[in-house]
Amino acid sequence: MKRSGAFRERVSEAWIEIRENPGRSLLQAIGVMLGVASVLGGMSISDSQRRQAERIFTRIGGIDKLNVLPTDVIADGAPSALQTANLGLRLADADSGQGAVTAKAVNAVSVQRQVRARVRSEQADQERDVTGVGADYVAMNGYVIEQGRGFSARDLEAGTSVAVLGSEAASVFFPTGEIVGKQVRIGDVPVRVIGVFAEKSFRFRDGQQNIFAWRNRLIAVPSSLVAGRMNGDLYHRLDRITFRVPDLAAMANFSQELAGLVTSNHRLQKDFRLDDVAKRLERQFSQGAVYNLIFLLSGVLALIGGGMVNVNIQLASLKERVREVGVKMAIGAPGREIFKAFMTEALLLTLLGSAVGYAVGIVFAWTIAHSIGVPLTLAPLSFFWATLLALAFGFLFALYPAAKASRQSPMEALRYE
Amino acid sequence: MKIIETCGLTKVFGSNGNAVHALRGIDLEIRRGEFVALIGPSGSGKSTLMAILGCLDVPSAGSYALDGRQVERLAGADLAAIRNEKIGFVFQQYNLLPRATIARNVELPMLYAGVPRKERRRRGQELLERVGILDKAGALPSQLSGGQRQRVAIARALANRPALLLADEPTGALDSQTGQEVLALFRELHEQGNTVLLVTHDPTIAALAERRVELRDGLLHDQEAMAA
Repeated sequence: MKRSGAFRERVSEAWIEIRENPGRSLLQAIGVMLGVASVLGGMSISDSQRRQAERIFTRIGGIDKLNVLPTDVIADGAPSALQTANLGLRLADADSGQGAVTAKAVNAVSVQRQVRARVRSEQADQERDVTGVGADYVAMNGYVIEQGRGFSARDLEAGTSVAVLGSEAASVFFPTGEIVGKQVRIGDVPVRVIGVFAEKSFRFRDGQQNIFAWRNRLIAVPSSLVAGRMNGDLYHRLDRITFRVPDLAAMANFSQELAGLVTSNHRLQKDFRLDDVAKRLERQFSQGAVYNLIFLLSGVLALIGGGMVNVNIQLASLKERVREVGVKMAIGAPGREIFKAFMTEALLLTLLGSAVGYAVGIVFAWTIAHSIGVPLTLAPLSFFWATLLALAFGFLFALYPAAKASRQSPMEALRYE
Repeated sequence: MKIIETCGLTKVFGSNGNAVHALRGIDLEIRRGEFVALIGPSGSGKSTLMAILGCLDVPSAGSYALDGRQVERLAGADLAAIRNEKIGFVFQQYNLLPRATIARNVELPMLYAGVPRKERRRRGQELLERVGILDKAGALPSQLSGGQRQRVAIARALANRPALLLADEPTGALDSQTGQEVLALFRELHEQGNTVLLVTHDPTIAALAERRVELRDGLLHDQEAMAA
């Protein structure tokens, strides 16, 4: 039967049956449609919510950021010469990271070096944290320049004596008058203020406190300035290196390679700590899994309900068609051919019902997502599940009527009035 | 060469207590190229014999060789393959598939036989031309007259070049004029070498056949050879 096109004929015959019995076909397809719509719509709503939650986490928690932090090496007794000679986390580690094979996934790098210093202006004198920043620190942390300018590449490279202030710091050190162009002294170093960052705020609800308030306390200077003139550190040691990797899977690979590179830079000493990417991955996948399961289950229930209706409709229609089955058998159709014809019809109907179900499911998900103010996310996986379940149940519930039809005795089927 | 050779065919319906003996031992031989009429009143066992000869049913006892092959023990798919390959049915009620076009109806037995699509198309056209309704190939059975439908049924019966054409009251649902035309077609097919077994209750129709076989109360009563 290879080149006889039997499959094509069966599909075209099934299509004719469906087309010529629109009422019956519609009833049968409705069950499938509702099941598919329920699985697809439900999963999409849950995906949309999860994506929204992820966006919030990204903004406040930074799940797309991979941090490298220095740690103390715990040693019994006196430290070895190797440990004493070790330099800790430094700018060279950030450069190694950017040179990694898997660094393609990295879209930004930031370095920082914290220093505690006395900060003086004409109007204030306070002990403050000063942050030495490098590379993409400003952009990665979402700071936006409101007045003046940000650091130029040259500033960061050469360690120019310039500073950009957070909005709180600006209002403390310069409560009145011009800010940009004024001078502050950080420790012994006179530094010129070249810009002010816009206020950062994030509130879960209106009226609640600004949980980003601490970020406005920033006093940023080039990290090379901190290393060169404040710490006198030739090795440009750092407190934190942050790589931004939007793709979590790629982040897992990158973090592995990075750990190896930094370890070898540090003469095989574990004096640094990397964020645990595996834990993040796990959290990302477990979130919403319960909801997906619930929607999957409701879809399955709809499909089972629809499937049982289909069995009944198929059996009833078999009574109308029993004579045709007899004719086909008389002209030589074996039972399995009759079986295949019934199955083809049921599965074709399932596919058609699924197609309509997609549309209904998308509209359903869009309406709900829209009403709760969340952008709609359609994951390929939801389409996959919806189709798989519909086909599985379509197949399962078609088996009995198809088997019953195929086991008719041809003579009795022909005599059937 | 014998197309049909039966020996002691019996068919019993029901069980011990109220068994009905529809056939009580049929010995029948039909040679290749014969035109035989099977006649008998209703209740004589005609339909039962026709079902067994047509491989739609199996006998309770006795042997049946169709075109040299013993078929009395076959079942299911094997019997379906024999029907497909060796027998062309023509029914009183035409029994065309109502939602399939004329062309598709005629091609269906070839589809089951696994004939490639192109060959099916070609032969389907050839058959429709032979019975004189090629122009209706795209129509549905409901758009045709009774006589035309019976022609389609005959074309379908010939599709796989069967060893035996089995016609059950083929003119029963037609007016006499159309019935005559259909019978003429059977005679023509017979003259071209086909073996035809015509089942009827009407002696005037049976008179058209070369040979008449009469069935009464489950027994072949009378076998009379007639001049063509």
